[in-house]
Amino acid sequence: MSVALPIPGFPGRILAVTLPAGPGGTPVTVGGQNALPLLPEGEHPNAPAVGMEVRTGPLELPPALAGTIGPFAGDPAAMARKCAGDWGARFLFLSLAGCHPDAGGQSVSFGAAVVREVLSATPAPVIVGGCGDEEVDARLFPAVAEAAGRPVFLSYAEEKNYRLVAGAALAYDHGVVSWSPIDINMAKQMNLLLADLGFPPDRVLIDPLTGGLGYGMEYTFSIVERIRLAGLSGDAALARPILCHLGDAWKAREATDASEGSWGDVDLRGRRWEETTGLACLAAGADLLVCRHPSNVARLSGAAWR
Amino acid sequence: MALTAIDIYKLLPKTNCRECGQSTCLAFAMQIAAGKASIDLCPPASEEAREKLSAAAAPPLPKVTIGTGEREVVLGDETVLFRHEKTFYHPTAIAVSIRDDASDEEFTSRLAAIRRLSFERVGQRISVDLVALRCASGDAGRYARAAAAALEATGLPLVLLAPAEPLASAVEVVAASRPLLAPPPEDLVPAAKLAAERKLPLRVRARGIEGLSVALADARAAGAVSLVADPSPETPREAVAFATNIRRLAILSRNRDLAYPSAFDLGGGFPDPFLAAALLVAKYGSLLVLDSADPADLLPLLTLRQNLFTDPQRPIQVEPGVYPIGAPSESSPVLITTNFSLTYFTVRGDAEAAKVPAHLLIADVDGMSVLTAWAAGKFTGESISKMLAECGIGEKVTHRTLILPGMVARLSGRIEELSGWRVLVGPQESSALPSYLRRLPPGAFLPVHG
Ligand code: B12
Ligand code: SF4
Repeated sequence: MSVALPIPGFPGRILAVTLPAGPGGTPVTVGGQNALPLLPEGEHPNAPAVGMEVRTGPLELPPALAGTIGPFAGDPAAMARKCAGDWGARFLFLSLAGCHPDAGGQSVSFGAAVVREVLSATPAPVIVGGCGDEEVDARLFPAVAEAAGRPVFLSYAEEKNYRLVAGAALAYDHGVVSWSPIDINMAKQMNLLLADLGFPPDRVLIDPLTGGLGYGMEYTFSIVERIRLAGLSGDAALARPILCHLGDAWKAREATDASEGSWGDVDLRGRRWEETTGLACLAAGADLLVCRHPSNVARLSGAAWR
Repeated sequence: MALTAIDIYKLLPKTNCRECGQSTCLAFAMQIAAGKASIDLCPPASEEAREKLSAAAAPPLPKVTIGTGEREVVLGDETVLFRHEKTFYHPTAIAVSIRDDASDEEFTSRLAAIRRLSFERVGQRISVDLVALRCASGDAGRYARAAAAALEATGLPLVLLAPAEPLASAVEVVAASRPLLAPPPEDLVPAAKLAAERKLPLRVRARGIEGLSVALADARAAGAVSLVADPSPETPREAVAFATNIRRLAILSRNRDLAYPSAFDLGGGFPDPFLAAALLVAKYGSLLVLDSADPADLLPLLTLRQNLFTDPQRPIQVEPGVYPIGAPSESSPVLITTNFSLTYFTVRGDAEAAKVPAHLLIADVDGMSVLTAWAAGKFTGESISKMLAECGIGEKVTHRTLILPGMVARLSGRIEELSGWRVLVGPQESSALPSYLRRLPPGAFLPVHG
């Protein structure tokens, strides 16, 4: 007896997007699929990619991270080499958090210099994140766009700043990450606004805002599923690769608190907290994951089959 | 697929005899399609119509229960493929395994460890649901004693992973607790007969969906009714594909022969059980058996399950009202937050850590976080002033000073204007509450007169 499986066919296809690499590096291409994640059906020309975060500014590392990235985390270039070289990150997310006035307020030119340094330390593809302060980021993104010697992605463009970020990116051939706060209509709107500016669609990634496990992850899960289903069903503005930054997982007390003995070893627990957040994102449809724990690059890549 | 009114109409006698209380058969068909009437109300309906319509009314994925009473575990009975389409009703059940050949000491301490896999999060208890007893001794008497001991020590329902003979002897002693019988594939038929005779649920294990379609039919032929299906995958990747397709067959194809809750034994050397478990919680696993009893593995999995099985329309919330922190007096500080469970428990924990007695007002905002509620227009100067006037806090304290979450500082003017209360803007993150409360000047909460 042969069982006929009700495998859905979709009219749409996720746009393939490439994160360019430097000389000698390997670019990362994601997207291109016409089917749901993790399933042996449809076409999945590219597997999801797992990258790591490199950041500036003061660091308070939880126990699970202190022992592994601790010795490198303070030096972005060394950290970038370690992530892309030893830990297998396929791309880097360089967060210029240190430029935030509350995080030491490094100058914009310092931030731009860090970008140059990291780009020359490794040929891996790079996404550069702002500091989150609207006024500083308005100066930071143009400076980064100019300073970067090769194409990167700028993260992120949102409702308030998209003209500026997209403008800077266009002028120097960079891509952008388009951000919306767990809101499918806003995600679509952002991509339409970018298209209106003439921004090439194959240089846009969607960041739907990633809540950590136990702290809003369920909202992200459903918004990623909805964006993906809409994209596959033919909504071109949403048929883009989705990036989930797992940083919020490390804000959870469960990931960091060593004092709760009944919760098990804080080191394993922290890693699992990030891993579980990432696995849920992959199951929902994420194409790019950014993690902080080196072992999760391999762990999450292990599930990033196609 | 659910039947339409027209499909249903075609099955009715089409005589418009009105015995059902409707003026026409078509009107009655529309009532049935809307779920407002049942075919029982139409006496002249044919046997065929009755059968088809009650089959269509049954849930696409049947419900299977394991255990009894408070610890009863419900599997299946789901109606959608994606949680945003409605919600998922029955969380993936998680069983942790134990072997019957362990020494007495190991056995007891393992059961204690399983019992400890229970945590409190945002006001809910999240726990491992079942104990899976693996027959490794091959000794029927020993297995039965172990089953009784596991039940006695944990009170949790059992999954009996054993060949036919030990299974039968365990059932002799624990049948009343409604365990799940989980025989190896070669012992399916005797176990199915046992399940039929004792009216117990049965796990049917066979290779892949094709294998299951044969094995499930064999189990039904032997009289077993309450079934769960284990497609026995070799990798996490296969597990996700099998679970997805079993669920799709139930919901999209309404395939009655394969529509059963799915079960996966991720122990005994299954590759990367943690990864498989997390993906199966997200993607359609109904029951998982794990060998790990490490809380560092289980707490994240149970939290993931709690997240994904929350109704997307109804965030976990707490009752609005006035909550005491410690033993507050008439001059203790008054704080306000929202009734989103995550927000409330975070703020309460931080306020308790301050060791300053206080009154905490929980505003009714339909379970939204502070900023979300503000953005949705539910946490406003108006709603907060109304709460101050109506919740009775005015009788509990002699002062009129409110501490507002830092994120919504912009509401202070409006609140002061409407309520007459003075507003102090608290920190943005409640984790800063301890130092904030301890630093408040002693004169902050003096009585007001007039
Ligand atoms: C998850 C989420 C949602 C979920 C709902 C979650 C829920 N049940 O509330 C969904 C997806 C439904 C949602 C919807 C919306 N959201 Co929303 N959402 C979030 C998100 C990502 C997390 C919220 C959360 O759970 N926080 C955790 C809880 C614990 O935080 P909290 O309640 O604020 O409590 C903290 C502090 O306020 C403080 N605190 C709390 N109480 C008290 C009391 C005192 C006395 C003190 C001192 C301190 C204090 O301590 C707590 C711990 O730090 C935030 C972004 C973010 N990072 O905050 C956006 C966010 C709140 N959302 C936003 C918006 C705009 C919306 C929408 C209008 C649009 C949309 N995105 O669809 C809708 C509105 C809802 C509607 N109309 O139905 C904006 C608000 C904009 C603004 N600056 O005000 C945010 C900030 C995202 C953004 N940056 O744009 N959202
Ligand atoms: S009782 Fe049956 S046959 Fe009579 S009107 Fe109602 S639906 Fe038609």
